[in-house]
Amino acid sequence: MNIVGVAACTAGIAHTYIAKEKLMKAAQEAGHSIFVETQGTIGTQDNLTEEQIKEADVVVIAADVKINGKNRFKGKKTIEVPTDLVIKSPNKFIKKVEEVVAPA
Amino acid sequence: MSMLKKMELKKHMMTAISFFLPVVVGAGFLLAIGNILGGQNIEDFSAGFTFADTLTTMGNLGLGLLPMVAATAISFSIADKPGIAPGIIVGMVSSSIGAGFLGGLLGGYIAGYLVQFIKKYVKVPKWMEGLMPTLIIPFLGAALAGLIMFYIIGTPISVFTEYLTAYLGNLNTSSLFLYGVIIGVLSSIDYGGPINKIVFSFVFTLFSEGIYEPITVLILASMVTPFGMTMAYFISKLFRKKIYTKLEVETLKTAFPMGICQITEGCFPIVMNDIIRCVVATGIGGGIGGGLSMLWAADSRIPAGGMFALPTMENPIGFIAALLIGSLATAIALIILKKPVTDAQENKVKEHEEADIDISDLRIS
Repeated sequence: MNIVGVAACTAGIAHTYIAKEKLMKAAQEAGHSIFVETQGTIGTQDNLTEEQIKEADVVVIAADVKINGKNRFKGKKTIEVPTDLVIKSPNKFIKKVEEVVAPA
Repeated sequence: MSMLKKMELKKHMMTAISFFLPVVVGAGFLLAIGNILGGQNIEDFSAGFTFADTLTTMGNLGLGLLPMVAATAISFSIADKPGIAPGIIVGMVSSSIGAGFLGGLLGGYIAGYLVQFIKKYVKVPKWMEGLMPTLIIPFLGAALAGLIMFYIIGTPISVFTEYLTAYLGNLNTSSLFLYGVIIGVLSSIDYGGPINKIVFSFVFTLFSEGIYEPITVLILASMVTPFGMTMAYFISKLFRKKIYTKLEVETLKTAFPMGICQITEGCFPIVMNDIIRCVVATGIGGGIGGGLSMLWAADSRIPAGGMFALPTMENPIGFIAALLIGSLATAIALIILKKPVTDAQENKVKEHEEADIDISDLRIS
């Protein structure tokens, strides 16, 4: 499954990047392809490309704050969670994502 | 409850904090450096000014904008781009009538939800649709939100803020200590997370009224965790009790310098490995340090910055002493509470149990 994601937290210096790392690791271990964009205080890094978004089966947004560019994901299946959740339970979260996407 | 959850009040608040924090830090440092150099706020630009005056003035201008920044960010978070204009206006009204930061926060929510309401329920004929975003929303949104601030919530908030200011100004020693403990515990137990940020918006309200001690407690509490964890490492060596894995010791090497700048998040990996014991230990240290800091009236004139806030205080010694004692308390608590590291833990690549996911936390669309 192809996943794209966005991570963003309040201070934009730590949780954002931990969330990204955990998401990447958990998804890759489960055999998915994943790209995660970070929207920290420094600005957006690892921007998702149009191509990546087009090919994605699901969009995962791990954010405590309003994210930029949500309209890019119009029409895609989108799952939004706080960063805490993917930091605490990345593998279980990816499982849930699989369950959500599978029936479709 | 589900209705409240859908409104995402917390997320809007967090967005506001992520917007105004850089303003606070930038303006705070300008103000602090300007004040140290003897700068005065410039009242009359035609009379000339010194370099130090420019810094102080920039700092004051920046801090003065905070109610507006908070209102705008909240309104933007709720209603997207159409929320910005009403947010700016209601925020400026709030600072002008003395409702300050608290008024800015509330005004932001009001402006944002008003714009959402207008978008949803105000129906116009087809030929007017183009006028909706260009005329109706900016005008109606700003007018209604501003009027609510002027006639309904502005006065009660400014009265409340004044009352709070007077009350806190007249506290006796034991209640000072108690309030310090409360602020210290609340702002240290979630490591720069949402509780810390909510406490921040509260103590910042007081800061903008000229009460500097509570925000100093928050600065201190954010530093106690990294300082205490580092202290615990050295003290535990004395007692030959190994409380950190090699990986965690590596983490400390970056967590401590971050702590000097009042960033707690560097400790996160260590906390995640042993969350309950760490929270208890940091709460103890944050509480004790906070109580003492309040008691000794450590008073930072900038709202963030860690050690860099030190030169702006009238009682820097009190701050340092409270910081060290608080950190020591965290260190001792950690050493007592934490179990010695076993070889198995050392070799295992953190496979701790993951918490179950509450399906209602997922918002699927």
